[in-house]
Amino acid sequence: MKLHKLFLLATVCCTLSACFKDEPANAECDIEKAWIHAENPQDMFYNLSDTLVNVLYTDNLITFDVKPQTDLTAIAPIFQVTPGATVSPASGSVQDFSHGPVTYKVKSEDGQWEREYYVYFNIVTRTETDTIRYDFEDFTINERHYYAWNHTLSRWDTGNGGYAMTGMATKYDPDQGKYVTDSMAFPTIPYADGYDGYAVKLTTQNTGAFGAMMNMRIAAGNLFIGAFDVSMAVTDAMKATRFGEPFDRTPSKFRGYYQYEPGEQYQDENGSTIADKTDQGDIYAVFYRNHNEANETIVLNGDDVKTSPYIVAIAQVTNIVPTNQWTEFEADFVFSEDIDQTLLNNRGYSLAIVFSSSVDGAYFKGAIGSTLLIDKVELICTDIQ
Amino acid sequence: MHRHTVMTMKRIIISAVAMAAFSASAKAFTLSLPEDIRYSVKLGYNIGGTAPLGIPATIRKMNRYKMQSNYSLAFDMQKQIKGRWGAMTGIKLENKGMEVDATVKNYHMSMVKGSSRLTGYYTGNTVIKAEEWALTLPIQATYTPAKNVLVRLGPYVSYVTSRKFDGYVYSGYLRENTPTGAKILMGDSESEGATFDFSDDMRHWQFGIDAGVDWYVYKRWGIYADLSWGFTNIFKKGFDTIEQKLYPIYGTVGVTYNLK
Repeated sequence: MKLHKLFLLATVCCTLSACFKDEPANAECDIEKAWIHAENPQDMFYNLSDTLVNVLYTDNLITFDVKPQTDLTAIAPIFQVTPGATVSPASGSVQDFSHGPVTYKVKSEDGQWEREYYVYFNIVTRTETDTIRYDFEDFTINERHYYAWNHTLSRWDTGNGGYAMTGMATKYDPDQGKYVTDSMAFPTIPYADGYDGYAVKLTTQNTGAFGAMMNMRIAAGNLFIGAFDVSMAVTDAMKATRFGEPFDRTPSKFRGYYQYEPGEQYQDENGSTIADKTDQGDIYAVFYRNHNEANETIVLNGDDVKTSPYIVAIAQVTNIVPTNQWTEFEADFVFSEDIDQTLLNNRGYSLAIVFSSSVDGAYFKGAIGSTLLIDKVELICTDIQ
Repeated sequence: MHRHTVMTMKRIIISAVAMAAFSASAKAFTLSLPEDIRYSVKLGYNIGGTAPLGIPATIRKMNRYKMQSNYSLAFDMQKQIKGRWGAMTGIKLENKGMEVDATVKNYHMSMVKGSSRLTGYYTGNTVIKAEEWALTLPIQATYTPAKNVLVRLGPYVSYVTSRKFDGYVYSGYLRENTPTGAKILMGDSESEGATFDFSDDMRHWQFGIDAGVDWYVYKRWGIYADLSWGFTNIFKKGFDTIEQKLYPIYGTVGVTYNLK
């Protein structure tokens, strides 16, 4: 009897706890942070906070914005990498960045995985043109198989990275015998029949079983100046949309062309249909101070993009109506405070332009199928004073 | 096609075994006088877990193990056949449940829902709740080393009537597809994290081996202990969300009452 109990106890213990093996070496190999240690950072950077770049896990291009006249021939970036990972060339080694980006390879502790990063010093000069055009003709499919748009002046991003997590765009293809991701199945995609060349098509989509598991039943198509931080998409989706990029001119209005078609059934965050409610698109721009009183960087997100005390101007397009013709929209920036010219010159303001196929898409409310087409956007600035 | 055939074959074998066992006991019942057969009822409690055989290095730590309503109610029929040897069968209603909180590192998982798939490596904490209410039929050889002791060993078949395997992840992150893929943080609580429910992926039929001992300590009353070791993965074939196959391994302790 005693022996039997002992045997039982031993088996249970061994199975459940005593047989834990040695901890495996880390498999990750990310550069999490990159920074420059400079004797006189104000000679090189507009803002002290520009000396540090928090690298998104989906990014492999690390950009330092620097002033003109910066000597790029001998700079020693310092990296914080995944514990145990090694970076080559070494963190803190002096490199020549005057010929463009320098490639760094990061190898995981277990030696099984490797990532390549490109460190680039972007010489930022004063924006000279008064009208900045966003035609959305320059786009690529990234390594995660969804579309991303490029622009020389502004970083545009979408929520496509979050949608990729739902697996809705990835299906088993019996012909190829493997899972294939359809780039055109994402909420934000190019649209060939634009006002002029390509437009962008934003569609509110069902996030399927995985979305429901995370209580995020729809994904609105969105497109905005800023960055989408996929890492926050599950815990705090509002924080994932990081709106705005530093901008050194005073915006006065923005305009462009749209088409809009609301989806048939409006649903709330629980997936329940709300009868008699029609979905609406959302088009707006905000201009805000990007540092607080303690000189910490401010980036607006889904929670405060229209309410933050740092906002100095909002341009909200108010009359988006269902239409299948290219229709012009326009909105003036309405200022709540005067622009500080010194702050403006030192890139102390950020600008975000935001498009969404469902106005409450950030709260996972809207109609599946709501479609907003956008093309030929122009941002008009007041003359340099 | 193939899977269907295998399933059908399994069903036939199960039915045959079950019928043989029942007819054997029925025969014993009618042909022999009742004193040949010992009837007993058992009430016990299962302690154990549904776990992989050999913990992989990616499972780092068990933070918490919570007891569940793992009651076991059994009716047994035992017959001496030759000398100290005999046979036993019966029917048992039991639950093999657990709730564990474990920490994993770089644990590979792949989830399929409909035609969508999410695959990646998870690092962090996970809470798993499992419940398997089952009707179990044991067929055991018995040995009587002493007058009031019965040692038992033999296979069992279970039909799991109520299946549950769900939980959530917290304080961790998922790397999409590979350890270099997009990193998605999971919240610090159930409401902020992602929940999962694989109940529908669990199989109904389970097989295994059960070893036990009955010890009659006072008149018709005794205590007993069992160890049942499942040989079938609790999940259906083709389910690969969880890298390892999980087997129910439970010990039972309880009281037994000899009806006559």
